Amino acid sequence: MNEIMAIAEGTWRRILRMRVVYFLILCVLILIASAYNYDVLSMQEHKPLMIDVSLVLNTIAVILVVISMTFEIPKELREGVASTLLTKPLGRTQYLIGKVVGTIITGLIISAMIAVGFFVIFKFAFNEQIALAMLQSHILVMASIIPMSAIAVFFSVFMPEMITPIITAIAIWFSYSTEKLIGVKFLYGGILPDLGLYNFKAFAVYGGEQMSWSYIGLAILWGIIFSIFLVTVSSLIFRFRDIK
Amino acid sequence: MQDDYVIKTEDLSKTYGWFIWKKKIPSLDKLNIAIPRGSIFGFLGPNGAGKTTTIRLLMDLIKPSEGCATVLGMPPDDVKTKHKIGFLPDAPAFSPYLSAYEFLNICAKLLKIPSSERKKRINEVLETVKMSEHVKSKLGGFSRGMIQRIGIAQAILNKPELLILDEPLVGLDPHGRLELMEIVRDQKKRGTNVFFCSHILADVERMCDRIGILYKGKMLCIGTLSELLSEKGTRLSIKPGHDNMAKELMVEALSCNKLPDGSWELVFPENNAILEKIRNTKEALAGAITVSASKESLEDFFFRKIEIAKKEKSS
Repeated sequence: MNEIMAIAEGTWRRILRMRVVYFLILCVLILIASAYNYDVLSMQEHKPLMIDVSLVLNTIAVILVVISMTFEIPKELREGVASTLLTKPLGRTQYLIGKVVGTIITGLIISAMIAVGFFVIFKFAFNEQIALAMLQSHILVMASIIPMSAIAVFFSVFMPEMITPIITAIAIWFSYSTEKLIGVKFLYGGILPDLGLYNFKAFAVYGGEQMSWSYIGLAILWGIIFSIFLVTVSSLIFRFRDIK
Repeated sequence: MQDDYVIKTEDLSKTYGWFIWKKKIPSLDKLNIAIPRGSIFGFLGPNGAGKTTTIRLLMDLIKPSEGCATVLGMPPDDVKTKHKIGFLPDAPAFSPYLSAYEFLNICAKLLKIPSSERKKRINEVLETVKMSEHVKSKLGGFSRGMIQRIGIAQAILNKPELLILDEPLVGLDPHGRLELMEIVRDQKKRGTNVFFCSHILADVERMCDRIGILYKGKMLCIGTLSELLSEKGTRLSIKPGHDNMAKELMVEALSCNKLPDGSWELVFPENNAILEKIRNTKEALAGAITVSASKESLEDFFFRKIEIAKKEKSS
């Protein structure tokens, strides 16, 4: 476990040290806040618009963190950073799990910063209580990073550095479109996760009703199980790979 | 039970590529080595000889196509054995966003150094490689030589039983090279076995007690320096002012050098008849000529072996 956390620590420290991350978070919060000014253009729909924008941008931020990892693993393998670490008492599977855990922690921190920033802006703009559905929707966005990180690791272990982010982005896009892919059995509920499970924008924006905590718990559990499966497959591939 | 050999390979081979993309010529071809404990082993060879491939196989970074290896008596993929190994890759690279301390702290955690000892041990190794003042600096801002020093620091962090160094002298200034040689000697005094791969033959000759020369994936020779660099002839030193004498003798000499101070050095094959004549000349008796046993340098030995291998290959 210590080995996994040591690798995870290296990953989150690297991403959270980048000044561009905080610049992007600031930009996201400015975009969320600017939705308040659409009251005239959107016929007083600026409140749902702000909630919607916050969830969309939070999802995009999480995807960006995941995409950053698709660069990191192949880059570490190419530059020799991974080979230095893998000559220490560290299994290849532990290295991959460490990368996934590091990405999840990074994504959670960034996503939580955006969510908290949004709640502060929302409270300041509308002086209303934060609806539970809004909070739950943001929690689900955060939880979506679990299966997404596993997808990123899976493609990173055998694909070239330049192709991995594109393939990962396509896979994530497909995973959010599972409703449209119900006919393609191999993809739906198969190798691609159903990221629609984590998309409850409609509840938060219009419904205002809360969803059950058991649903959220099951969605997280499903994400963990899917990640374990995909990391196991990735590990089998990675175990036989030559590292430069 | 302790194995007598720190590294042992049996028909270890590696051919890069896969399926139809598999290369025709193996990078390493049936390598058989057995390195006993308590030695500094110098692994030599020209570029592309297969030195780094061998090291990567021993560190389980790549998988062999054929054959097997043991490191400290265990297969290279044994995670527990890695606690006893220190490794410096040929081009060390570390995450540029981490400071020297943070990087070594991660390594210390992977090596399971207890948290109470970690800080002390990290400061010790940073002191050893003369990098204490850069403890908080980011690795991204380090020069090649500084990165090399951090690489050495992470390799000796766990007080290893076996230290594998791939081109450790690259990127170091002359002062740094001396310091590194001192570190390696110090490690040997502590009982560490060293497997050392370098192009700088003079340094290898000074540091190693055993060497192996690899050429195009095959081992040309292996043994102790004293065995391999045996006496190969007679050296004649002629003092300045005796140029005519030197010019007369150089016809039969194996090699002839005029040194900057005007003196001459000639090497003759052993038992050459001319040497007997010289011993009785008035110049020899006057001390202008000294006769001594000539020992081949590692550099001469290396090039001779490579030349023979090249000729054998082409024929």
